[in-house]
Amino acid sequence: MTDVSPTLAPPAPAPDRSAPPTPAARGGQARRLLALARRDLPATVGAVVLLAIVLAAVLAPWLAPYPGDGSHATHPLDTLAGPGGRHWFGTDAVGRDLLTRVMYGARTSLTVAAAVLTVSALVGVPLGVIAGYTGGVVKDVIMRITDVFLAFPALLLSVALATVLHPGTGSAIIAISVGWWPWYARMACVTATGIRSRGFVDAARCLGVSRIRIMARHVLPNALTPVLVQLSLDAGGVILTSAALSYLGLGPQEPTAEWGLMVQQGQDLFITDWWVVAFPGLAILLTAFCFNVLGEGLRSALDPHRELTR
Amino acid sequence: MARRLRLPALAAALAACVASVAGCASGTPPATTALTPTFTYSYPLDVITDWDPATSYSNELVALQNVYESLTRYDPGTGTVKPQLATSWSSTAGGLTWTFHLREGVRFHDGNPVTAQAAKAAIARTIAAQGGAAYIWGAVSSIDTPDPHTLVFHLSYAAPMDVIASSDYGAYVYDTAPPGVKPGALKSWLEAAHDTGTGPYTVADWNQGQEAEVTLDAFPGYWGGWSGRHYRQVVFDHTPDVTTAWQTLETGDVDFRSQLNPELFKEATHFRALGTQATASLQNLIAFFNTAAGPLTDVRLRQAVQNAVDYDGLLAALHGSVGPAQGLIPSGLPGNDPALTRHQNLPLARKLLAEAGYGPGGRHLNLSLTYAQGDDAQQLFVTLLSSDLQALNITVDARPMQWNAQWAQAKATDPAHRQDILLMYWYADYASAYSWFVNLFHSAQPVSFNLSYLDDPVVDKEIDAIPQLTATDPAAERANYALLQRQLLEQDAAAAPLFVNTYQRVYASGITGYRDNPAYPDVVFVHDLEPSP
Repeated sequence: MTDVSPTLAPPAPAPDRSAPPTPAARGGQARRLLALARRDLPATVGAVVLLAIVLAAVLAPWLAPYPGDGSHATHPLDTLAGPGGRHWFGTDAVGRDLLTRVMYGARTSLTVAAAVLTVSALVGVPLGVIAGYTGGVVKDVIMRITDVFLAFPALLLSVALATVLHPGTGSAIIAISVGWWPWYARMACVTATGIRSRGFVDAARCLGVSRIRIMARHVLPNALTPVLVQLSLDAGGVILTSAALSYLGLGPQEPTAEWGLMVQQGQDLFITDWWVVAFPGLAILLTAFCFNVLGEGLRSALDPHRELTR
Repeated sequence: MARRLRLPALAAALAACVASVAGCASGTPPATTALTPTFTYSYPLDVITDWDPATSYSNELVALQNVYESLTRYDPGTGTVKPQLATSWSSTAGGLTWTFHLREGVRFHDGNPVTAQAAKAAIARTIAAQGGAAYIWGAVSSIDTPDPHTLVFHLSYAAPMDVIASSDYGAYVYDTAPPGVKPGALKSWLEAAHDTGTGPYTVADWNQGQEAEVTLDAFPGYWGGWSGRHYRQVVFDHTPDVTTAWQTLETGDVDFRSQLNPELFKEATHFRALGTQATASLQNLIAFFNTAAGPLTDVRLRQAVQNAVDYDGLLAALHGSVGPAQGLIPSGLPGNDPALTRHQNLPLARKLLAEAGYGPGGRHLNLSLTYAQGDDAQQLFVTLLSSDLQALNITVDARPMQWNAQWAQAKATDPAHRQDILLMYWYADYASAYSWFVNLFHSAQPVSFNLSYLDDPVVDKEIDAIPQLTATDPAAERANYALLQRQLLEQDAAAAPLFVNTYQRVYASGITGYRDNPAYPDVVFVHDLEPSP
């Protein structure tokens, strides 16, 4: 109760969100954003490329040169055409336009990544917060359960689960999520354990605020920053894992466009028709890399010690 | 500082990636192949499923044909058979009695001499085992051995025994009483990778599940002799991945690959260090539909899938490595019928699906399919089929599998665990179409290769009538084949023949004497080869 940490300082008056920001305020935000972007060029480039990939995925039915090739169309008389004017990325073994397939593949990969991370965060973070805040037996039980999951390499666990499930996008999401949520539970637990002894939590407890309300209103919001950073860092990992499952035939099935599946199907053509495997492979590489640099940038930008160390 | 380094590092990684891709695309001449006394055969499937020559009926053919021999061997050049363990033969009584004179001085690998009694015992054991290709001896009523080198077959109906004796399965002559093996223990002894053949090579090593799966060593006492240049050892590598197979060919680590893909085969024709050979085969790829369990028990759904297959598209996409399927029987065999060539008919497929309550606007249908891992042609078919069926509101769950696993699932005792569609190649056991019918569509318990699980007494009766018709009435035989094919493919819709293979072999150009024999699919008779000095 004698804690005099900055969190006990009287909160600054909340800005009036109903009033529109003044031009000066807007200019200030833009300048801050620009400064941030200048300060971390790789993260900025990563964010821009990811935005382009997301737009390509969302607008694939309108932007793709041959939208039918993204689903069930095949052209057996136009197989393995090299990159050129008609097909910028060439065509695959059944004559489908690879640029179209890569754009549609982005939809699958990003959907899987978003779903896995959402499920993992929704399951892992609340469990971690409960464990960290409550402590004792509850913490022990939850953390031992996470330990069981963490004892297996995430990819191995996903492969094992996907093998027994019906192959498909949904199965891939379930299989990856099962191996992913414990990391969020552990991270949230560590953060919540640190927060539970902070003064503002003690204050809330003394005022008779219920446990659930303390966890929801005071602990959880403070535990979210590292989670957000981790989510952006993990997106690339999920895409790689999803591609690995598809490569093994355990993810989405033909004719769904999926980068890992495209690489698997093109691997035997790598020597003679390199484009079949190169473009989906580069899409995986680029997306995973951009998520990583963006995550690093976020970590750096949201680091509370950042201003102090500069 | 560390952050600044990251972008150049990325650029370098991407450049290396692109450079490697470009390098692979342009290709580099392979290193000169250094021939050694070891012949290494790269095979895409598990080599061994059964070591017993009486029941062997699968991929092990490629190894066993170098270990065991039969009385005769089929010569594709003349369309007749030539001597092997038998030096001459004749038939009398309208083909009801056949006399084979055995080669003298031949010994089994265990040291015992090859006699008529030993050959009779081997054939009798194969018949008694009732496995694999035992059916080929169906016409035999008794066997006499008037002297140690004469074997006389008495038949219950006329049959071409000289051709039957050249069969790729079930016709091996082997020692049934090797020294030191107790009576009754022969099978288990053989399954431990022992052999009792007469061929030029004997089994030296077997590493199940390993890349270098089987090793054969030269049998010094081989009757064909070892004068001149011959390979002294044969290694069968199990290499499912085509790219790996190509790389090992390029580097000279393997000497022979049974099948790559059309693109790599074309590439191989440009390399001086590699020889290529394309040969029309008697082998076709067939999609078997599960008629006993699952959604495809409804014949309308089977017919719908049959009609949804883009047969012509498949041929076009495979760039000349296959020919059209004309019914179940490949061209070159009696009973082949070009009128049975199929074409895609999507409107009919939709109509059939609608009648069954499926298709666009109807219930969604899920079909499981298994196919051979590493087989590009099968993978391409699966891609085409999945795309065509998706437009018909059908999802295909396709699983590439190792053959042993695929076959085990297909033979699962619980029918619910079996697949809906299975892809498998089939080829003749000898120069006859009978094998396709008796093995693939005759009812059988336990399940072996009848992987559509058809159990139709009328079909069984028609199939059982074939051997006698073959010997007595070729016109009736052809009519029977035509009738059966229409019944199986149209009324029962138990299967869909997809294409006939063209064998595209790639081997080290220093090897001379290689000649593909389609009657023995994928077999290289290694003793016939001559390595470069």
